[in-house]
Amino acid sequence: MLSIVVSAQDFAPVVHNVNKAQEVSDYIQVRSQLERFQLAQPQLSLATYYLTYVDIQLSLVTPDADKKTKYLAEAETYLNKLSELKDIDKSEVFTLKGLRLYALMASDPQVNGPKYSGEIISVYATALAINPNNPRAIILAALFKDDMAKYLHKTYESFPKDIEKASVLFAAQDSTMLTPTWGKSWVDFALSKK
Amino acid sequence: MKKMSLLLLLLYAGVFSSFAQQFKVEGKVLNEQSKPLPNANVFIKGTIDGASTDSLGNFSFTTNKQVEMTLCVRMLGYAEFNTQISDKKSTALVLNMKPDNITLDNVVVSAGNFRVKGNSQFGKMSAVDIVTTAGSTGDLYHSLRTLPGAQMVGESGKLFIRGGDSNESQTYIDEMHVLSPYTATGDNMPVRGRYSPFMFEGINFSTGASSSEYAQGLSSVLALNTKDVSPIIKIGVNASSVGFSGGGTRAFEKGSVSLNLDYQNVKPYYSIVPNKYDWVKPYQLFSGSGQIRFNPNQTTVFKTFVGYDKTSFIQHIASSTNQPTRNLAFNDENFYLNSTFQKTTESGYKIFAGGAFSLKNQHVDDALIATDSYRNKEWEIHLKTKVSKRFADFLRLNVGLENFFRHNDIVYSYASTVHTDSINHSISALFASAIFNINSNLYAELSDRVEYTSINNMWRSNPRLSLTYNMKNGVHFSGVVGQYTQLPENKYLLTKNDLRTENCMQYVGGIYYETKNKVYRAETYYKKYNDLVLEQSSSLTSDGYGYSKGLDLFFNDRALFKGFEYMLAYSFNLAKRKYLDYTELSTPQYATIHNATVSIKYNIPALKSILGVTNRFASGRPYHDPSKSGIMNSTTGFYNSVDLSLTYLVSQKVIIYTSATNLLGRQNTYNYNFTNDTTNPDRYMKTPVTDSSKRFFYIGIFITLSGKTAYDVSNF
Repeated sequence: MLSIVVSAQDFAPVVHNVNKAQEVSDYIQVRSQLERFQLAQPQLSLATYYLTYVDIQLSLVTPDADKKTKYLAEAETYLNKLSELKDIDKSEVFTLKGLRLYALMASDPQVNGPKYSGEIISVYATALAINPNNPRAIILAALFKDDMAKYLHKTYESFPKDIEKASVLFAAQDSTMLTPTWGKSWVDFALSKK
Repeated sequence: MKKMSLLLLLLYAGVFSSFAQQFKVEGKVLNEQSKPLPNANVFIKGTIDGASTDSLGNFSFTTNKQVEMTLCVRMLGYAEFNTQISDKKSTALVLNMKPDNITLDNVVVSAGNFRVKGNSQFGKMSAVDIVTTAGSTGDLYHSLRTLPGAQMVGESGKLFIRGGDSNESQTYIDEMHVLSPYTATGDNMPVRGRYSPFMFEGINFSTGASSSEYAQGLSSVLALNTKDVSPIIKIGVNASSVGFSGGGTRAFEKGSVSLNLDYQNVKPYYSIVPNKYDWVKPYQLFSGSGQIRFNPNQTTVFKTFVGYDKTSFIQHIASSTNQPTRNLAFNDENFYLNSTFQKTTESGYKIFAGGAFSLKNQHVDDALIATDSYRNKEWEIHLKTKVSKRFADFLRLNVGLENFFRHNDIVYSYASTVHTDSINHSISALFASAIFNINSNLYAELSDRVEYTSINNMWRSNPRLSLTYNMKNGVHFSGVVGQYTQLPENKYLLTKNDLRTENCMQYVGGIYYETKNKVYRAETYYKKYNDLVLEQSSSLTSDGYGYSKGLDLFFNDRALFKGFEYMLAYSFNLAKRKYLDYTELSTPQYATIHNATVSIKYNIPALKSILGVTNRFASGRPYHDPSKSGIMNSTTGFYNSVDLSLTYLVSQKVIIYTSATNLLGRQNTYNYNFTNDTTNPDRYMKTPVTDSSKRFFYIGIFITLSGKTAYDVSNF
C-alpha cells in the first residue's frame, strides 16, 4: 500500500510534465521518466498509456525521419500492451490508436491519406461509442473530419459544436487526477482554425 | 504511549538512516563509436531513480543503497545496457551502448515471404492498396500476380509460382486450410478468389520455402487473417458492372457479427462488351459470407468464419471436327466453415485450436460430349492445434498437431455407361520449430514437419532451416533450405491410390533492404522436384521429376517522387519437368522465362482521386505443336497488358472504383488447341487460346450507409 501511495505521489509531477511538454527536449525528458515508472511498476498501466502518448507526440514533433518511424513503431508495441491490460479505459486506448494513425498519415499525407483515413474515422468512432464524453476523442475526431471535409471541398458542419463540447468537457476535468487529461492544446488549435 | 514513541523513534531512525545511505551515481554514456550519447535514460533497475544524459552524454542522480543494484541504460535504437554497481563503485562510470537487435517477436523470415499488413516495415500495404493496383480488378489473387515469382497464366487466373503448377499453391484463413479458394468457372475462363480482400487484416504471401506449419504446398502459401472484433456498426452496399452486394457488422459488448451477400451476373456486361462466349444462360454467382467474433477477455479470441457460393451457367460450345455442338451446363456449390480459438496465458503461452470444413459439389452436363454428365463431390475436415512461447529473449518455440480428413466422389455417365470413383484418406502431421539468436545480428529457425498420409501409407519428415542476418541501415540477408511434400491431385489418386507423395527440395536466398518508404529485394532460388505423377504406357507412376530455378527482383518506393508510389517486379525462371504426359524433360506450358510488372500509383488530392497504371509483360509460353517433333516445341508471342484504374472519393461515404484491363487491346495468346484437319490427316487446325474479350472494364460504386464510418468499403 505504501509503495502505491509513493508511486502516485511521484507519478503526478510526471503527468504534469506530460501535459506541459511542447518541445522535443521536453518530451524526451518526460519519456525517460515514464519509462522508469513503467519498468519499475508494470502494473501501473497509466505509465504505459502515457509512454504511448509521448511516443506519438515525439513522432509528430521530431524532425528526424528515422526516429519518427521508431517512435511510431514503439507506440504500436505499447498500444498492443495496453490492449491486454484490464484496468485501462478502452476509449482512451482507441483515441491513442487514432492519434497514432493520424501521425502515420501525417508522415506522408498524399500516399498515406487513402491508406489510413478510413481506419482513423473508424477508430475514433469506436472511442466515442465506448465513451461519448471523451474530450480527446471528440476534438481529434472533429479535427480529422474537418480536414477530410476540406479535402472534399465541403464543410464539416458540426465542427463548432464538437469544439464547444470538447471545451466544456476539458474544463470539467479534474487536473489532479492521474487519468488522461491531455488534449486542451488540440482545442486551442481547433479554435485557431475556425 | 511508549509504543507510539518507539514507533516514532524507529520511523525517524529509518528516515535518517535512508538519508545516510543515499549516494551519487554519475558517469558518461557513449555510442558504438565512443561518441557521447545524449538523451539516454540511465536508472537503477526496479526503481524510478535516474536521469537522462545531457548533450555531452553525462548523467548524475542520487539513489538509495540496496543490496544488489543494476544500473540500466535505455535509448531508442540501442540495445539495453545493464551493469552491476555499488555505493563504492558508482562514479566516473563509462557505459558503451550498442545498436538495437530486432526482437524475436518481430523477426520475419524474408526469404520467399511477402507480408502484407503486419508488423514489418514492408507490411504497410492494405486491402485498399491491393484493390487500387491497376489490373487487380479488386481480386486478391489477381493483385498477387503483380509480385515477383508469380507467372502470367491469364486464361486460368490461379497462382502459378516460380515454375510450380497452380495446385502447388495453398490458401489458409486464420491458420485453417481452404480446400477451394477460387470461384468455379468453365474452360479458359479465369477464376477469381472467393473472398474479398477487405475481409482480411493480415495477408502473408509466401512464394516458396514456407513455414513448416503449412501443409501440402510445394510452391506457395497464402495465409489470410480475418479482422478482429469490430466495436462499431457498419453497413454498406455496392453496385458494379457485374453485380451488387451488401452487408454489415453489428457490434456487441464483447464481440461482433458480420454478414455480406453478393450477386454477380455477367449478362448486362457482355451485352455491351463483345466476348467470345456463347451464353445460353449467362454466368451467375450468388455468395454469402459471415463471421462471428467473440473476445470474452483481452487474451482470448473466438472466431467463426463461414462462406457459401453457388455458381451456374450454360455455355453453347460450337461443333468441331471431333465433336457435335453441345450446351455445357455448369452448377457448382461451395461451402466453407472454420472456427478458431486463441488464447495467451499469463505465463506467456500462446494457444491455438481450430477446425475447418470445406465442401465442393459440382455438376456438369454436356461436360465433354453432348448428353454426358459429370458429378464431383469433394470435402475436407481440417483440425489443428498449436502452442508457442518465448522462453527467453533469444528463444521461441512452436509445436503443433494437425489432421486432414478428405473425401472425393466422382460419377461420370454417358449413354448407359456409368463410371464411379471414390477415395477417403487422411493426412496427420506434427510440426515444431525453434527460433533463436545465434548472436546479436544472426537469427536461425530450425523446424521439422513429420507427416503421415494414409492413402499411400507413407511417412515423410520435412526439415527446414532458415537463417537471417541483419546488417545496419535496414539491410538483411536471408536464406532457407527445406523439403516440402504434397499428395498428387485427387484426379490421379482416384485412378491409383498408392502414388507416392510428391516432394520438392527448395533452396532460397536473398538480400533485402527495407526502410520506411522503400523495399528492395533480390532473391534467387532452386527447386528440385521428385516423385511427380507421370503417365507411362497409359498407367500412372511416381517417376516424374523436374527443377525450377530463377531470380526475382522487387522494388517498391513511396518517396522517390512526391505523391507517387511505384513498384517494379521482375522474375527470371527456368523450369523443366518430365511429368503427366510429357515424354521428355520440358518447360511446362504455364511457365515463362521472363515476367515483369511496373505499377505506378498517383494520388491527386485536387481531384480526390488515385490513379493507377500497371504494365505487365511476360515472354512467350511454350506449347506443343503436334506437327513438329518433340514436345513443348513452340512458343507463343509475348504477353503484354496495360491496365488503368481510377479511384474517386465522391464523399466521405461514397467511393467509385473503375478499372480497364488490357487497355491497348493487345490480343494475347496463351496456348493453342489443335484438331485434325479432315481434308488432310497430316495437318492440324490451330485455334489460339485467348481472353474472352480483348479488354475488361470494371466500374463499382461503394456506399457506406452506417453513421460512424467513412472511406471504409469493408462491411466486415
